[in-house]
Amino acid sequence: MFKGTNASAGIGIGKAAVIKEVEMVIRPDKVASVEAEVQRFRGALADTVAQTKALADDLATKVGEKEAEIMNGHLMLLADPMMTGEIEEAIKRDSVCSEYAIETTCTTYADLFASMDDELMQQRATDMRDIKTRMQQVLQGIKPVDIASLPEGSIIVAKDLTPSMTAGINPANVTGIVTELGGKTSHSAILARALEIPAVVAVSGVMDKIQEGDSIVLDGSEGIVIVNPTDVEKAEYTAKRDVFLREKKELEKYIGMPTLTKDGVHIELVANIGNPDDVAKVLQYDGEGVGLFRTEFLFMDRTSMPTEEEQFEAYKKVAVGLAGKPVIIRTLDIGGDKEIPYMGLAKDENPFLGYRAIRLCLDRKEDIYRPQLRALLRASAFGGIKIMIPMITCLDEIREAKALIEDVKKELDAEGIDYNKEIQVGIMVETAAASLMADVFAEEVDFFSIGTNDLTQYTMSVDRGNEKISYLYSTFNPAVLRSIRNIIRCGREAGIMVGMCGEAASDPMMIPLLLAFGLNEFSMSASAILKSRKMITEYSIEELQAVAEKAMSFTTAKEVEAYMKEFINQ
Amino acid sequence: MVKAKVVIRNLTGLHLRPAGILCNKAILYKSKIQFQTDRTTANAKSVLSVLGACVKSGDEIEFICEGEDEQEALDSMIKVVEDGLGE
Repeated sequence: MFKGTNASAGIGIGKAAVIKEVEMVIRPDKVASVEAEVQRFRGALADTVAQTKALADDLATKVGEKEAEIMNGHLMLLADPMMTGEIEEAIKRDSVCSEYAIETTCTTYADLFASMDDELMQQRATDMRDIKTRMQQVLQGIKPVDIASLPEGSIIVAKDLTPSMTAGINPANVTGIVTELGGKTSHSAILARALEIPAVVAVSGVMDKIQEGDSIVLDGSEGIVIVNPTDVEKAEYTAKRDVFLREKKELEKYIGMPTLTKDGVHIELVANIGNPDDVAKVLQYDGEGVGLFRTEFLFMDRTSMPTEEEQFEAYKKVAVGLAGKPVIIRTLDIGGDKEIPYMGLAKDENPFLGYRAIRLCLDRKEDIYRPQLRALLRASAFGGIKIMIPMITCLDEIREAKALIEDVKKELDAEGIDYNKEIQVGIMVETAAASLMADVFAEEVDFFSIGTNDLTQYTMSVDRGNEKISYLYSTFNPAVLRSIRNIIRCGREAGIMVGMCGEAASDPMMIPLLLAFGLNEFSMSASAILKSRKMITEYSIEELQAVAEKAMSFTTAKEVEAYMKEFINQ
Repeated sequence: MVKAKVVIRNLTGLHLRPAGILCNKAILYKSKIQFQTDRTTANAKSVLSVLGACVKSGDEIEFICEGEDEQEALDSMIKVVEDGLGE
């Protein structure tokens, strides 16, 4: 058994198809006619372009336009005048063969990209090596490995899959992928997930351990590869595969279904996202909107503050992508625990109790908060945007933030810029103070969203990153549950929506309690939505009241957890 | 020779796709088109050169065009960046 990185979920069972590239020996052979050699290079370049174009078209029809972009990127690189110019220059200057000129030129660029401190750029190194090899193969008359015609039930085993190889995969015949190199975000892993082929990558030394035709079992969820499994192992994984496929199929039935409890209460089931590209996943899993869009990513990994315009584009993209469905965007939630050099934040002694989130934003209205609020309001003209303020502890913060929003609205009115005049403004309820004042705050805002991760941390006075005290960090602690119940009750009494965007919202043991308390909206990672919808539709809120009452009668987290575990398993 | 500065607004900076759009625009002009960052100078007609400049979101770059259609080329480069390079 070998361990690797779990790159694409599911169980693959089949016969190994070991992909070995023909080794090419590239030497600085001299050529007699430099002119003829340049012509030879140009011919090979044209053939490689044609080959790549065919792969791109094939991929676009088989998987989708987005996946074909990798191949379209190769076309751009192949068309680069600087690269082709340098290759021709090398042929002329040194009277060497095209293969060698390509080798030196492309390797220089690949190494340059590999050395860059940027993951997207590092991926370009893989692209450069891929097009280098393909041009050389064309010159040497070597046919590229024909992955498209692998027989049914093949498990691809390779050192690494180049983007062009991955593009040739026929998902009907390939039941799994194992590679020696790569990572979760490499081209092959991304495409394996898009094609829903189980994959385990970064299995060290695997090329020496697997022979062509070996029987293989792989678990892409756990990152396990078994070569020549015993009958028992094979049976075990066949059963696992059937369960995985059955569950997946069963959950797919819930796409397009409304989230209604058995007694007919509609629950809003929405997603947490971290950047605009996550919208595709929300739609894929049929999220009914976005319950938490963290805006921190816009501010991280860069050298200057994002402009209002940049932020506007990002927020607008999400609003448009969700076509009018609710999109709750949380304003900047950042503090001294994050390294953002351009913000000039001093290191806080106690970052989670310090100068962060709304505290920081209200102190730096002109350079941070006003531009973000302007961008949010402007984007609200394009979809269902709601503004959410994080880490509220007192009423003054709510009033000050709302006053600033009103001020920005006046500014936009004066400039004749469109925005949603009825935009909703809500708060994260995640501090002990906000929970105790929930009845008062509910009168001031349009919605609550309970952040259970921070609420647990602040209520229990426990650093959630500290392993030594992790026994205290449980949302099932009666203190936290009472707090949650109180927040929901206060929100409902004031007639505002109450949602939850912490991890507890998708916890199977927590969902029955939250339903009983009267939570309206559950926000979670997109991949948990269908499972949660299935669960919610199986419960009746009325029947759950007794369960909640019983759960709340316990006095320790352990007792509550044991009871809820028993309840969901019956 | 004409010059003008512009700030890159794309979220992920000048990565492959926006770089391709930039180059496809640049090759339409006869002028030599370059841009400068605070680290390096890049040839706007080469995807590799543009990628190699490693331009991030929020960075300011200065286009320098030289040739018979330089003003037209410069205006066009500024516009394609301001339009968001396809994003």
